[in-house]
Amino acid sequence: MKNNTLFLLCFFILIGFSTSIHGQDLLETLEKEYPDTPQYEIATFKSTRISIGHSVENRKKGVLEIMAMNRFWNIPNYGGQSFVADKLSSRLALEYGISDRLTFGAGATTLEGVYDGFLKYKLIRQRKSKGGSPFSVTLFQNTSYRSERNEPFVDINLFDDFTDQLAFTSQVLIAHKFTPQFSLQVSPTFIHRGSSAFEEDPHNQFAIGIGGRYKLGGHVSIVSEYYYLANPLKSIDTYDAFSLGVNWELSDVMLQFQLTNTRSMVEDAFITQTPNNFNFKDGNFVFGFNAIFVLHLNQKKP
Amino acid sequence: MNKIIGIIFLLMNFTDFDVKSDQFITRQGQVSFFSYTSVENIEAKNNQVLSIIDFSKNEIAVSMLMNAFVFKKSLMHEHFNESYIESDLYPKATFEGSILDFDPLATGTQTKIIKGELTIHGITKEIEIKTSIENNNGTYLLNGDFELIVKDFDIKIPPILAPNIAKIISVKFRFEYQPYEK
Repeated sequence: MKNNTLFLLCFFILIGFSTSIHGQDLLETLEKEYPDTPQYEIATFKSTRISIGHSVENRKKGVLEIMAMNRFWNIPNYGGQSFVADKLSSRLALEYGISDRLTFGAGATTLEGVYDGFLKYKLIRQRKSKGGSPFSVTLFQNTSYRSERNEPFVDINLFDDFTDQLAFTSQVLIAHKFTPQFSLQVSPTFIHRGSSAFEEDPHNQFAIGIGGRYKLGGHVSIVSEYYYLANPLKSIDTYDAFSLGVNWELSDVMLQFQLTNTRSMVEDAFITQTPNNFNFKDGNFVFGFNAIFVLHLNQKKP
Repeated sequence: MNKIIGIIFLLMNFTDFDVKSDQFITRQGQVSFFSYTSVENIEAKNNQVLSIIDFSKNEIAVSMLMNAFVFKKSLMHEHFNESYIESDLYPKATFEGSILDFDPLATGTQTKIIKGELTIHGITKEIEIKTSIENNNGTYLLNGDFELIVKDFDIKIPPILAPNIAKIISVKFRFEYQPYEK
């Protein structure tokens, strides 16, 4: 009798099993058929800049970015009649994706006549699935040339020789996309200046940047960035760079708005030589506006 | 007792084998979609679509990774995945349905209706697709096209970009099936 019950039990289990195999979801079968290719995170940040500094993002091969970066600020007790703001600094730049990982860019800034060129290489991409790197890492190297004296203020560097006016910035940009909305980046930075007008000023400066973005919707995100400078200049008072901004993307156009204390848009200048702290007083408060137009020179055939 | 269990497992294996022989699969199915507006034309193609047909019940399933769609512009790929389809949250689009009144043994081309549930962006819709099915002695070729309404799938398009993206997207597909061996 006991044996019979067991047999019946097994029989029913068998029936249950075979129907479950028959009824096995076709989608589940397909799930197992996906090849095991690694999936990488895309768009840790939407733009090549978080706000004022570079992000880990590169543009893809054959993409040209036409950038107009602007900073507006007022001079305290200034009697002039300027349009919108007393002072304007602009950086016009072209940045081109040589490959999916390597970007070259060059730009010119009106303030102090700074010319800059940079190379940016995406070394490691953050993997979505387990295994692989949890971080994206991008290497950044720029060179800038300051062509004009900073009158009426003091100049930090000498103007005797071509190399006196150069500065070099090296960065290792490390970012992690935590959620589809939230990404964070840490950017250890090394800056070398070709010359110093004052003995006491360091030639080599170290800084660390931290930046994050939070996506409010599909197209708008809030961003913030801060650069801590470990060994600031001694001859003049400088302050750490800070920015709070909104990024808005519209098809091929990216608009970035910033509330910041930085007037320059080239790394060595705004990280080491920002002469004012962040507050809303005239002369300290800087409004920033970047317009980036993305042009696809090399279109794929889908 | 042990014998019974042995028989059970034997039977299970047999049933398994039986079912699989009716199944046909493609791993390089092609799905493309088009959005035509006066502002811009957007087209994308996915060549790695998975699909399986079980001819014992005339059931079909399709599954694809949204980030495998290739666009003309790389920024379109990013926007598609990041801002519209949100492939971080909804990485796949799937379809599950059945082919109505289909005779898998008849050779040549038949045009049949495939009815089932399509899931994109986490939203499931019942659809019917007119499909041409070609039986070439043991391999099957399915192709057809249909249209989707963007609004049905809760895809948010900011008003300023509304002229760039068509309200109705046309979708084309082409799947070549081989017998499925595990």
